[in-house]
Amino acid sequence: MAELPLPIALDVMGGDNAPSQILDGARQAVAAGIPVTLVGRSADVGDTFGLDLFEASQVIAMDDDPAKSVRTMKDSSLVRAAELVRDGKASAFLSAGNTGATMASALLRMGRIKGVSRPAIATPIPVPGCTPTVLLDAGANAECTADFLIQFAQMGSVYACHRFGIAHPRVGLLSIGEEDGKGNALAKEVNAMLRAGAAGPNVLFIGNVEGRDIMSNDVDVVVTDGFTGNVVLKTLEGGMKFFAGKIFEAFLANEETKAAAKVLLPALMPLTEALDPNTYGGAMLLGVDGVAIISHGSSNATAVLNACKVARDMVQGELVQALRLAVAPQ
Amino acid sequence: MGGVTTLDRPAVLTIVRDRLADILEVEPSSIAEGASFVDDLDADSLALIELVEALEEEVGRTVPGFHIDDEDLQDLKTVRDAVDYVTAKL
Repeated sequence: MAELPLPIALDVMGGDNAPSQILDGARQAVAAGIPVTLVGRSADVGDTFGLDLFEASQVIAMDDDPAKSVRTMKDSSLVRAAELVRDGKASAFLSAGNTGATMASALLRMGRIKGVSRPAIATPIPVPGCTPTVLLDAGANAECTADFLIQFAQMGSVYACHRFGIAHPRVGLLSIGEEDGKGNALAKEVNAMLRAGAAGPNVLFIGNVEGRDIMSNDVDVVVTDGFTGNVVLKTLEGGMKFFAGKIFEAFLANEETKAAAKVLLPALMPLTEALDPNTYGGAMLLGVDGVAIISHGSSNATAVLNACKVARDMVQGELVQALRLAVAPQ
Repeated sequence: MGGVTTLDRPAVLTIVRDRLADILEVEPSSIAEGASFVDDLDADSLALIELVEALEEEVGRTVPGFHIDDEDLQDLKTVRDAVDYVTAKL
């Protein structure tokens, strides 16, 4: 694959494991042929092992107020990284830091794609055995209008196509029943609009889906408001973590189960990898004028490497241009 | 590039309307001067920060160093509030 003409601006200060794991991931990305510019405080980062570092004196903490911190901490690693994209010095922006501040930095510095009402966070939900399901909005907009969700359907469809190679992604609207009339006022309104073709001919709307469908092979893109999407995401994460913990607890219960575990664990490893958020690298902020990836706060070096690969693929695949066309007036 | 060399209240109103219309993807003419950012225009906190930064940039071209204090933001509830605030700081 051809090399990126511009590096990825990587917020080396963001995340629970920053800067060490972020730096390790960046080194692996560079070794894989992906150019990276670290953005952060050199005194904290230490030896960059030859990687470029753009100095930024401030760090936005995970619990800082997103909009306020971006406005007041103009020399933060998050803001500076987004500015490198805005100024044409980087091809993409990546952070495992404060999610809200990452979104605010991208929005305020890189701007929105013309025509996009609200950017949305698109998160791949692993589905073992097939391509992940794209869930959006996973938390950018707690309050949504029907028009926002129509655009989420358009952007999610484009993203599933670019990211996972699905030629005609099946788009479902999250509701509390498959029938068109089920759901709250917003779901009913959006369902009727999508049925009427409001998202355009390129969106393959398959109707309402339920929470249990997200981790199935019945749908490729699930559209919902940011409040519901974030609840869904965190519920899935918590449920999977609990379930995995209980399985390992059972494996370690006695000598007999330990022996069984030795046999079963190799068979379970692919499933573990498929469900590991580090495998997917992060969520994409769709609708800003550039490639922006929000990685999980607990990202390790593998997650950073994978996120860099996704960023490279989305830049080279011209995702932003495709989104621009998708949301343009029909 | 041509442009405004002096700003009065009507000019500020036009700027606020135009920038807000860009941010909210609505027609400038649909934004009433008395409209509430939150209740009437569905503007969230991030949209308001976008507006503030856009105003600082655009007004700053005519009035170098123009700045909106963060602590004043909570008092800006309507389009009129914003226009009055900016006009008073010119």
